[in-house]
Amino acid sequence: MFEIGVSTVGNVNVHTSQNGGLTNEQVADLAVEKIVSISDDAPPHIRQQAKQFREHLKKVLYNYLLLARREERASIVHILRSNGQKELAEYIRRL
Amino acid sequence: MAIAQAMCNSFKKTLLEGKHNFLNSGGSAFKLALYAESSGGKNTSTATLGFGTTAFTTTGEVQTSGSYSTGGGALTRVNPSVATATTTQTAFTDFADLSFTTASITAMGALIYNSATGNHSVCVLDFTSNKTSTSGTFTIQFPTADASNAIIRIA
Repeated sequence: MFEIGVSTVGNVNVHTSQNGGLTNEQVADLAVEKIVSISDDAPPHIRQQAKQFREHLKKVLYNYLLLARREERASIVHILRSNGQKELAEYIRRL
Repeated sequence: MAIAQAMCNSFKKTLLEGKHNFLNSGGSAFKLALYAESSGGKNTSTATLGFGTTAFTTTGEVQTSGSYSTGGGALTRVNPSVATATTTQTAFTDFADLSFTTASITAMGALIYNSATGNHSVCVLDFTSNKTSTSGTFTIQFPTADASNAIIRIA
């Protein structure tokens, strides 16, 4: 006889936003959660190192997310200006 | 508790019947529907979800809003995997994160189900508290696809 032992459902994280999309910080959190997971069973000094790495990673991701959004807006502004939508372009540039 | 996290009993049976395919390419169509426990649902009935849930139900499902519509959102499958070793290992599969945008939603949990074959239920997710988006984004982030964290694991 063969028996399958334990079937388990993992835990999800839910992130929500109000009046707009997720913030850069929330997106950075999403990315870090996927990249770094820290075992509850890990030795304390390993857990501490992993937590510090996670915080550092989050700061790096946050800054590059800011850059990515700014650069995308710059591309959108360029396209709008090229098509004569100067007022809309200025509005987006100021976001 | 009206919504309790569980792998549905019927899923274990339908899995043995070959009704589910989690392969990224050519697999079954799985969806995630959101549910409210009390207010927030599309009707006054409260969602009751758990190990006994056998199929998708509209009872207690959240209302259509933004990119969320009745039946929920389509999930992107992550190929099932298991470590090759001489000892017993855990097989697992997962899904990509799912977002509903420009949506006003209050949800306490979710049901993952197979929309390709009879809307058979897979598992119930309990958010443990109401999660609310207001004209915003409602994102469900699935765990890392590994033997310790993945959304569906069989040891």
